[in-house]
Amino acid sequence: MLSAILTLGLMGLLAAVALGLAARKFAVETDPRELALVEVMPGANCGACGYPGCGGFAKALLEGKAMASDCSPGGKEVAERVAHILGVEAVAPEPEVAVVLCQGDNQKARVKYLYQGLRDCVAAQALAQGPKECPGGCLGLGTCARVCPFGAIEMTAEGLAVISRRKCTGCRKCVGACPRKVIAMTPLHAEVHVLCNSHDKGAAVRKYCDIGCIACHICAKTSPGAYRIDNFLARVDYEARQSPLEAVPKCPTRCIRDFTQGYPEGSRFAPPVVPLHAKDAAPSP
Amino acid sequence: MKSSAFSGGVHPQDFKQFTASLAVESCPLPEELVLPLVMHIGAPATPCVEVGSRVKKGQLIAAPKGFVSAGVHASTSGEIRAIEPRMHVNGSRMQAMVLVPDGEDAWADGLEGAGPNELTGDDIRDRIRAAGIVGLGGAAFPTAVKLSPPEAKRINTLIINGVECEPFLTADHRLMLEEGERVLDGIEILRCLLGVDRAILGIEDNKPDAIAHMDKLCRKSVVEVKALPVRYPQGAEKQLIFAACGRTVPSGGLPMDVGVVVQNVGTAAAVSDAIRKGRPLVERICTVSGPGLVRPANLRIPIGAPLSHLVKVCGGLRGRTTKILAGGPMMGMAQAGLEASATKGTSGLLIFDETAAQLRPEGPCIRCGRCVSACPMRISPTTIAAYSRLDMIDAAEQNNAMDCIECGCCSYICPAGLPLVQSLRYARGAIAARRRRV
Amino acid sequence: MTELLIIFVGALLVNNVVLARFLGICPFLGVSKKVETALGMGMAVIFVMTVASVVSWYVQYFILNRFGLEYLQTIAFILVIAALVQMVEMVIQKVSPVLYQSLGIFLPLITTNCAVLGIAVLSIQKEYGFLETVIFSLGSAGGFTLAMVLFAGLRERVDLGPVPASFRGTAIALVTGGLLSLAFMGFAGLVKG
Repeated sequence: MLSAILTLGLMGLLAAVALGLAARKFAVETDPRELALVEVMPGANCGACGYPGCGGFAKALLEGKAMASDCSPGGKEVAERVAHILGVEAVAPEPEVAVVLCQGDNQKARVKYLYQGLRDCVAAQALAQGPKECPGGCLGLGTCARVCPFGAIEMTAEGLAVISRRKCTGCRKCVGACPRKVIAMTPLHAEVHVLCNSHDKGAAVRKYCDIGCIACHICAKTSPGAYRIDNFLARVDYEARQSPLEAVPKCPTRCIRDFTQGYPEGSRFAPPVVPLHAKDAAPSP
Repeated sequence: MKSSAFSGGVHPQDFKQFTASLAVESCPLPEELVLPLVMHIGAPATPCVEVGSRVKKGQLIAAPKGFVSAGVHASTSGEIRAIEPRMHVNGSRMQAMVLVPDGEDAWADGLEGAGPNELTGDDIRDRIRAAGIVGLGGAAFPTAVKLSPPEAKRINTLIINGVECEPFLTADHRLMLEEGERVLDGIEILRCLLGVDRAILGIEDNKPDAIAHMDKLCRKSVVEVKALPVRYPQGAEKQLIFAACGRTVPSGGLPMDVGVVVQNVGTAAAVSDAIRKGRPLVERICTVSGPGLVRPANLRIPIGAPLSHLVKVCGGLRGRTTKILAGGPMMGMAQAGLEASATKGTSGLLIFDETAAQLRPEGPCIRCGRCVSACPMRISPTTIAAYSRLDMIDAAEQNNAMDCIECGCCSYICPAGLPLVQSLRYARGAIAARRRRV
Repeated sequence: MTELLIIFVGALLVNNVVLARFLGICPFLGVSKKVETALGMGMAVIFVMTVASVVSWYVQYFILNRFGLEYLQTIAFILVIAALVQMVEMVIQKVSPVLYQSLGIFLPLITTNCAVLGIAVLSIQKEYGFLETVIFSLGSAGGFTLAMVLFAGLRERVDLGPVPASFRGTAIALVTGGLLSLAFMGFAGLVKG
């Protein structure tokens, strides 16, 4: 018994001394906070913060290059925890979601040619500016859906991209991937959007799309201040006090959508119930 | 006279019987000519006349910008109606000069030719540049730049490309048959300019009449006519160099790295006109053909002629048109309509009806390897396409995606109908963008 | 001399540590997504396995056997292996931080790698001398690296193709591993035992 204890004990001691010396010789400086930071992050490595993965974000935070609120998928919760570790004030970011500003699927919008090739929007756009007549509309080949790290984008059977307001974390990967720039970041609280991305005049839009904005100004007249018409395309002013809801049923082409009533036609997402993200909800009175 | 061909390549049916025996016709002037500011590889030209000005045929209307660029000349006399974005054969709307002919087709004054012996090498280069000549084989690289290799690259061979390996196209064939003297004159000018003793004219085997004719003409000169076996893409630069003189251009390199300059027969003829007659590049021969056309023909077209006009001259469309190609069927650009107009590099316009061109269903890649055997550049299209689809651009670059000449052999031979050239173009575009950023 | 060659080839191919003895499956599946990472891991294992086997041999014959403490074999060997792995970890972290990051958790897991312990114990069981132990562990570690690099190459290619959704990831990797194992069965009978 004693010999066993002594033998193992001595071997262990020898190994410990050797390792101790080696540790000193091969020492690598690491900040202990780095590990703690990576622990509190979502771990999706989506790159929304602009740094390579959660590890990269942690390094950038410690170097002072990044802000605690840069992680949009993490939202308020992660921003607070990160700030706590770093010992700084947390500033909650304005939550945003991505919206595809188009409802022109292959039933509603015309094509200028039959496309044969890679089912990729960037590749299709390279051929004569894309198969759709509309220069700004969604091509429906699914590049954004493939790029979304959270599985928040679905392609309808008729070739339209729709983004789930529940699953979207605001990482902006889809915005960068879309060659038509038809996806826009909008504040989470905004439920009404004009789903059109074409700046062509009304007569031209009518020729190639049944559900595009023709800049008739009816929305701006019905809800003054809530809509801005810019270069033949209406847009909801998200900062306006006036509610845009009244104009929704008045739009002649039905291009304005109230998302509390449902997603665009063909989508399988259930209508969102307010509040959308529990973690960002204001505490109930 | 036969020489070893390159590895790979495919044997599509050549379909040249529609126009091979038709003499070149002149094309009547259209109602308007649309001349894009970029019809070449390099910086776009800058307009040098105002909207509303009257111009004469051969007058410079847009000047080259920088060294790698080419100017634009009025293809006929008339008025510059507008300078605005117009549909280009490459599919996007690009800035172009709209010229409305006045019907007189009057040449500009002061266009003087000279005997090439009276001019210095630099004079000849300047005149070629001033004439706005670009490679008429389709690549449209500014000829004056190609003829100015850096000091370090010693050129010892000139190769003239009379191969015309694309199916349907017979423009170069007819040019050699009907204007062989002009071609030979151009070859001689180029040969003396480069100071080389060796000039080879390569012609594919399926044009025996052109081979015989050029052979007879070249008997009194040092130009050697070489009949090359029929295989697509024999007319591609690197493949032609190998077949004609056995040299291999290194990966990522240019013909000048092996001491060679290659020019198209059409370019040679244009050079002859520029020097002897002082005339800039204002017209070219274009084969308008295909089963979707009433009357195929070889037309001598003014640069900037709308494609719709060319179709009209050939009797109009026949049947339900399903595909329109500017260029040949292997490398030509598919058009969404006839809105664009012919540029300096438009060697052909092909119209197909539903019996000839249909949508092809796409199957999975079964790793059969036919694309690898068919590739004339000896790269692996299936591997690069797989990396391209997965956005693994680094891996695509490591597999020599930049060596691809986009000849179309892989897409042609793929039994699953996969869009291999499209995947390769996507990867090459991504690699080029990455290199520009660094 | 022939004896040593037989031992080496036997350990490398015929009784391949991963594909025939089925030891060390954890890093085999975990680090074989890319060929570079697999090669890095293989190098680390070669070092650990060889040195651990040799040191363990000395420990067995000059400490455990001398004092009649054969029953402490497992613990003593693990102690040696753990210390060696810690050493390797420190060196890799200093010399190649990129490799350190890509190996991740699998580097310290070499400690619990049954292949390393297995080869050390097997050398004792087969009553190999010192030189034979060295050759045996070099061959086994080489076989481990060979299997991992081959597998990584296969996985890289397989992932390029349209793998059915239900097979993607680990499932198709295991199927591929099984097929690779079958291929290596072809070496059976090359060397007896």
